[in-house]
Amino acid sequence: MKRALVFILLAIFLLPLAVRPAIASEIWIFAIFGLGLNLLLGYTGLLSFGQSTFFGSAAYVAGFLLKHYGISTLLALATGVGVGAASAAVVGYLCVQRSGLYFIMLTFALNQLFYFTAYQWTSVTGGEDGMPGVPRPALLGIDFSSALVYYAFVSALFLISLFLMKRIVESPLGKILQAIRENEVRAEAVGYDVPRFKLLAFVIGGAFSGLAGVLYAMLFGIVPLEAISFVFSGNVVFATLIGGSGSLYGPVIGSFVFIWLSESMSTVWARWPLLLGVAFVIVVMFFRGGVVEVFTRLRKWQFSRQKT
Amino acid sequence: MSFIAAQILNGIATGMLYALMGLGLSLVTGVLNIPNFAHGALFAVGAYLLATVAIFLGNFWLALLIAPIGVALLGLVIEYAGIRRLYAAGHDYQLLFTFGLALILSESIILIWGPIGSSYLPPQILRGGLDLGFTMYPKYRLFVMAAAGLLVFAAWLFLEKTRYGAIMRAGIENKEMVSLLGIDIQWLFTVAFALGAYLAGIAGALIAPIRGLSPTMGVDMLGIAFVVVALGGLGNLLGAIVAGLIIGVAQALVAAYWTEASTVVIYAVMAAVLLVRPQGLFGIR
Repeated sequence: MKRALVFILLAIFLLPLAVRPAIASEIWIFAIFGLGLNLLLGYTGLLSFGQSTFFGSAAYVAGFLLKHYGISTLLALATGVGVGAASAAVVGYLCVQRSGLYFIMLTFALNQLFYFTAYQWTSVTGGEDGMPGVPRPALLGIDFSSALVYYAFVSALFLISLFLMKRIVESPLGKILQAIRENEVRAEAVGYDVPRFKLLAFVIGGAFSGLAGVLYAMLFGIVPLEAISFVFSGNVVFATLIGGSGSLYGPVIGSFVFIWLSESMSTVWARWPLLLGVAFVIVVMFFRGGVVEVFTRLRKWQFSRQKT
Repeated sequence: MSFIAAQILNGIATGMLYALMGLGLSLVTGVLNIPNFAHGALFAVGAYLLATVAIFLGNFWLALLIAPIGVALLGLVIEYAGIRRLYAAGHDYQLLFTFGLALILSESIILIWGPIGSSYLPPQILRGGLDLGFTMYPKYRLFVMAAAGLLVFAAWLFLEKTRYGAIMRAGIENKEMVSLLGIDIQWLFTVAFALGAYLAGIAGALIAPIRGLSPTMGVDMLGIAFVVVALGGLGNLLGAIVAGLIIGVAQALVAAYWTEASTVVIYAVMAAVLLVRPQGLFGIR
C-alpha cells in the first residue's frame, strides 16, 4: 500500500508535466469511475455494461443545476453522488434479479433507455450537441478557472475516493461481496441476502460514477451525449480490464493507459476506434489479466533469473 | 382508424425483424454461453452487403440470397479464429473480444462505405403500395412480413423437427450431457454462431430498404436484440417472436403520437415487464 501510494502521489505530481492538465484531470476522473465499476466487476463479480447511466445522469443533473441555478461546487458534487446512487438503485433493482448473461444484457439495455432519453430530450440535454456552458464555480475562495488548480482539486478527490474504496473493500461488506463473487450459492446459504448486497454494491458504485460524472462535466464545461452512451460504459470496463480487475489499483492503471492512449490516438486518426478494437482483441488473445498481470509475470521472470 | 391499422402493420413488420435478430442472438448466447456484442455489427454488415451486392449485380433477389450467406461466412471465421479460444475465459474477456470485433466491423463499414448514411430503394416490383381495403400499404413492408414469417417458420421447423435442431436445443439446456452423448460440441458451437450471424445478416438485409443504411444501425439494433432476449428467454423461439412483436407494435403506436419517444418506449416496455416478471415473459431462470 505504502509503495503504491508513493507511486500514485508521484504520478499526480509528474503527470501535468507530461500531458495537458485537462487530460491529466481526465485520467483521475476516469480512475474514480473505474473504482466504482471495479467494486462490481472485480469484487462482486458483476459485469455491468451500463455504468455510463450513472455517470451521465449525474453529469446532466448536476450540470443543469450548475448552469441554470448557479449552485455551488460542493452542492454539485453532492448532487452528482446522489443522482449516481439513486439511478444505480433503480437500474440495479431490475438487474440484480437476473444473473450471468442476462445481467450483462440488461445493464446495457437500460443504459440505452437513459441514452435515448437524453438523445431525444433536447430542450434540457441538447441532444446530440451535448449540454454546453457548465460553469466551474469557486470553492472556499479557490478559483478553479485555472486548469492546474482544478487538476489539484480532482487529484485530491481521487485520493479521497481511493481511500474510501480501500476501506470499503477491506470492510466486512467488502468481504461479503467477495464471498458472493466466489460462490453465490454458499453466500446465500451462510445467510446473506445476496440480491440486497449486490444492490448495495450497485449503489456504491453508482455514487462513485456520479462523482466522476460531475467532475467530468465541470472539467470540459460540457456534458457530451457520449457521457451517457454505451461508449463510456464500454471504455470504463475496458480500462478496468486492461489495468486488471483483480486489484484495487487495476482501474487506476487502466484509466492511465486507456485515456493516454485514446487521447493521443484520437488526434492522429479519426477512425482510431478501429485500432482500439484491434487492441481489445489482442489483449484478450494474449494478455488476459491486464497490465497488473503482465507486471507480475515480468517480476516472476526476474526472480527466477536472479535465483539461477 | 386506418392510420392506426397501418401503424400496427408497421409494428408487425419491424417486430418480425426484431424477432429474427433476437432469435439469432439467443441461439448464439444460449449455445455458446457468451455475451455477443458483435451481433449488431453483423446486422449492419448484412444491410451494407445487400445494398452493395444488389447494386453490383443489379439484382435484389440474388443479393438477398448472397448477403446473409456472406455474413454467416464472416461468423464462421470469427468463431473459428477467435471465439473458439475463449470458451474457458470469463464473460468479461469474451465481452471485450466481441465488443472489439463490433468496433472493428463498424469502423470498417465507415472506412469502406463512408460515415454518412444512405438509402437503398427496394426493387421495382416491390415499390409503391397495395390497397388492403382499409388502408394503402407499402408492398415492400408486406414482403418483409412474409419473408420474416417464412424465416421464423423455417427456424421453427429446424429447431423442433430436425435432429440438428434437437441437438442445438439440447446444447442450450445442458452442454456436458450433449458432449457425453458423443456429439461434437465444437461443431455445434460453430454452426450455432454461423446460424446466428445468418439471422442477423438477413434481418439487416431486409431492413435496408426500409430504414436505409447508417454506420450506427448496428449498435441501435444490438440494444433491441438484447431486449428481445431478456424478455423472451434464451433459445426460446416463441419468446423471441412474442417479445419482438410486442416491442415492434408498441414502438409503431407510440411513434404515431409521440415520435421522440419511439425508441425509448422499447426499453421502457422492457423495464415495465421486468418489474412485474423479473424472469421475462417465458423465462424460468
